[in-house]
Amino acid sequence: MTSPLHQELIIMSETPSYIAFEEYSERVPASIPAAVQQATERFVAGRAARVGELPQWEELRQIGSDIRQHTLENLDIYLARLEAAVLSAGGHVHWAGSGEQARQIVLQIAQANSVKAVVKSKSMATEEIHLNDALEEAGIEALETDLGEYIIQLAGTGPSHIIVPAVHLTKEEVAALFSKHLGIDAPTDPTELARIARETLREKFLSAQMGITGGNFLIAESGTLVMVTNEGNGRMCTTMPDLHVAVVGIDKVVPDWESLTVFLKLLARSATGQKLSTYTQFITGPRRAEGEFGPKEFHLVLLDNGRSKILSDPVGRDVLKCIRCGACANVCPVYKNVGGFAYGSFISGPIGAILSPQMLGTQAARELPFASTLCGACAEVCPVKIPIPTILLHLRRRVAEGDEFSEPTISLPLRATAALASLALAWNWIYRFGARLLPAINPFFRRDGWLSGLPYPISRWTKVRPLPSFGSRFRQWWRARSAERKGEKR
Amino acid sequence: MTNPTIENIRRSLGRTDQSALSPRPAIYPPRQTESAAAEIDRFLREIKKLSGVGRKLSAGDVEPALRTLLSEQDIHTATAWDTAFLKQLGITEMLQAQGVKLVSPNADKREMAKCDLGITEADYVLPETGTLVLRSSYEKPRAVSLLPRVHLAIVRPDSLRADMHQVFAEAKHDHYLLFITGPSRTADIELTVTLGVHGPRNLYVWVQTPQ
Repeated sequence: MTSPLHQELIIMSETPSYIAFEEYSERVPASIPAAVQQATERFVAGRAARVGELPQWEELRQIGSDIRQHTLENLDIYLARLEAAVLSAGGHVHWAGSGEQARQIVLQIAQANSVKAVVKSKSMATEEIHLNDALEEAGIEALETDLGEYIIQLAGTGPSHIIVPAVHLTKEEVAALFSKHLGIDAPTDPTELARIARETLREKFLSAQMGITGGNFLIAESGTLVMVTNEGNGRMCTTMPDLHVAVVGIDKVVPDWESLTVFLKLLARSATGQKLSTYTQFITGPRRAEGEFGPKEFHLVLLDNGRSKILSDPVGRDVLKCIRCGACANVCPVYKNVGGFAYGSFISGPIGAILSPQMLGTQAARELPFASTLCGACAEVCPVKIPIPTILLHLRRRVAEGDEFSEPTISLPLRATAALASLALAWNWIYRFGARLLPAINPFFRRDGWLSGLPYPISRWTKVRPLPSFGSRFRQWWRARSAERKGEKR
Repeated sequence: MTNPTIENIRRSLGRTDQSALSPRPAIYPPRQTESAAAEIDRFLREIKKLSGVGRKLSAGDVEPALRTLLSEQDIHTATAWDTAFLKQLGITEMLQAQGVKLVSPNADKREMAKCDLGITEADYVLPETGTLVLRSSYEKPRAVSLLPRVHLAIVRPDSLRADMHQVFAEAKHDHYLLFITGPSRTADIELTVTLGVHGPRNLYVWVQTPQ
């Protein structure tokens, strides 16, 4: 059973037209930050222990960052290589410009093969495009099989944490969900609950006709899909059904296997504090022989959905370097106090605060760049060195000044003032001229040596605190002071 | 044929279809290997940290070790990779002698799902992370290390590799490759670590050493 507040937080099932971060964070039940902090503390400690074992950690981060940068800068070439390699391995490649196109592609594959039931392994890309809704609407059962995802699917809520999506639910709540949906009397022991899920889902794995997954990396060199999981449900989805469809963002490409070594060393250590996750699969096309298991058909859906547009912003594009470890969220003081729901989208925490505004538009997500203290902890732990605070500031500027998505949130006179100020700073003579001119206003506004009640837009400053009155200019003052001192010495 | 996504990427990056690939940054070098004995010890230590059961054994120890495993884990049905190394060890004969029902590794998935034990080799192992690397073929089906609740991997000493770089150099043209680092695990309910949620609950790793 979920509390009414959890029900209210089903805001993530549709692409949001506006993310009201402030309002959502006020509605977050107190139990969520408590549970989320327990999880983040554990992951932060685990990460620190693994990082401490590797003296070359900082070098690995730098190389990881450099390779991600290089890949994005040459993305057209690497994607073309990837496509050719997947095709030559006997796989199918589909290009999806939008979420809607991706949904249609997956539905067509499912319908062409008379698929009734799909097993899914945890995937941010399919969350992003709301694939489950589309499948259910077409009468196809879409079952999440990661234990945490399975639980929140039963509960009908979104994820509260990227790695442990159901961490906000207690074992009693999980047991109640299992009892209600499976018609059994479920005990409240986590191990027993996991066993029940294993048995229930085992049957689904064996009978589903199609497995849908995301992917952690795509190797351009060989057309290989790399999937990292812990429970084994990812392996089930790619091994048992005859069809495997992977929906993967175009930003997931790595140049070659050598490059991949760097990211495999960075990912699990940053995410869960493991050296490697339990299962890492390297899938290059369909099975070769029937008896070896694995799918007869392999389909790769390459999802753009705004990513190619993000590349046009030279500052904001660094968000696409992300390898989805969640380390930034685990250290974020804001995230730890509100949890994943408040970010109103499939991705939360600092990375969500810089991705959602670029993906959904600065109008829909204009509160998110401000959902940060700019403390910089996120950038310190990011395994690929994404300058998250810099991008937050950049996006605040885009929100304030307006961009192709949104009207400016700062009024015209204020922007004009800011523009004048930056002109004055850029041109020395304007600055000096202004400095000569400004003391002339002193008599009109000065009270006890302070200026207050200046006209709009400066009033936005002076109604909070007065300005010191304009006096002599610094250089003038300095010359006069130096001359005085010389006089004293003599 | 022009592809709209690639066109959009080029426009965003200010590139054309004539733009050249810039050189890829250099990669951090692989770790150096220690002596074989030290590497095996390190590997077994990692397996233990991962809640697996690892041990060294010589060819003569296989049968008693297997008998112990069968009774510890209450094994009635088993399946195994069909490889020369496992044949040479006589694994299937030992299982049959113990009254264990054998299922073909290429059997239907529902048959395979009834197996208590799956036996494989490891084509490579990575000592630093306690990782088994398994290739895939008709003789080495993927389901053997996935569906049974217990997985036993028997490791030849020549499968040790210092780092994943060497494994990739040798096996990157395979159509499927799998790293296994410990038994299946989750911490999704109240962060309680639970083993065997979808894959095997118990992982046994036996490293063969010369007599």
